Amino acid sequence: MIEKMKKGKIAMTITIGIACFALVTVMMMQFKVVNETDITAIEDMQESELKTELANWKTRYEEIDAQYQETTQRIEEYKNDEASNNEASRLVQEELEQTNTLLGLTDVHGEGIVITLKSGSDAAAISADDLLIIVNALKFAGAEAISINDERIINTTDIVDILDGSFIKVNGQRILEPYVIKVIGNQSHLESSVTGNGGKVEELQTLGHTATIEKDNDITIGKYNGEIETKYIE
Amino acid sequence: MIFIAILIGCILGAILGLNAPMISYTYSSYLAIAIIAALDSVFGGIASVIKKNFDLKIFISGFFGNAILAILLTILGQKLNVDIYLAAIVVFVWRMFMNLGTIRRYYVEKWSEIIKKKASEKSKNRKEEETAKVEEK
Repeated sequence: MIEKMKKGKIAMTITIGIACFALVTVMMMQFKVVNETDITAIEDMQESELKTELANWKTRYEEIDAQYQETTQRIEEYKNDEASNNEASRLVQEELEQTNTLLGLTDVHGEGIVITLKSGSDAAAISADDLLIIVNALKFAGAEAISINDERIINTTDIVDILDGSFIKVNGQRILEPYVIKVIGNQSHLESSVTGNGGKVEELQTLGHTATIEKDNDITIGKYNGEIETKYIE
Repeated sequence: MIFIAILIGCILGAILGLNAPMISYTYSSYLAIAIIAALDSVFGGIASVIKKNFDLKIFISGFFGNAILAILLTILGQKLNVDIYLAAIVVFVWRMFMNLGTIRRYYVEKWSEIIKKKASEKSKNRKEEETAKVEEK
């Protein structure tokens, strides 16, 4: 009888021990969860408060989303602008190149003629006026680029006699014989403008100077080497 | 003896519980109500030990049955949008106080009995001494 009671008591003790063990295990787990989760803020709120909060967040989200859309659109616009700017700058660049070509600020090449002049020994030396007349005639014949002894003829070019015809200056640079005039343009037009009746080259030849005209399909004329300065143009 | 078992159980449980993996916050409300139910069962068990009517089957079935029933009620309450778990907590806590009262009364009575015994022994001794004195005279 006593043994039976003892057995019962041991079983009882163990059972309660196990129950306590299970209980405390679960309690500790729960404590950990509660500690880790910041529930107080959420739990203290009423449902209506939570609803307002949610609505607030939704509105903010929508606002920010709208802002985002706007910004994206603006970026798109800027991108388009940039593209058109590129286009514009490309056009400007093209125009600039063309202008430079026309002004004589670039090296150019093309078909044309080369006139070589050398004063004869028994006649007066070739003067700047002769060169001027030739250049003028060539321009009339549609010359696109002219150079005398590699001095490019541009709109400010001067061709003058210095010291009573002892030498000639082109673009302020002294040039010496033989004078080599390179011209780009229609070959037959250019040639006919300086030869034939009234042609200056032929006239020089008859005066006893040496003058030759060569046709060339690829003449290279260098650019103007000086600087174009304007003081009075406003 | 029973207190040693409780103490060992608590210590082992704390060690295991602190090392156990985290459970989702979603289930923590069910776990909480189960804890209250289990706590009530344990106090009930201790009280019944003191009352000397402890039954292993009743204890075990109560321990698990109450916990499961409390969890189910909580789930039902959530589905119905009624806080049934409040009723469960009220009942469990009330019963916990009742059981605690039983335990406390038992120990207080035990203690006061001991004091009474001592007092009566003292008075007995004194009486004996007095009679001895009287006899001496």
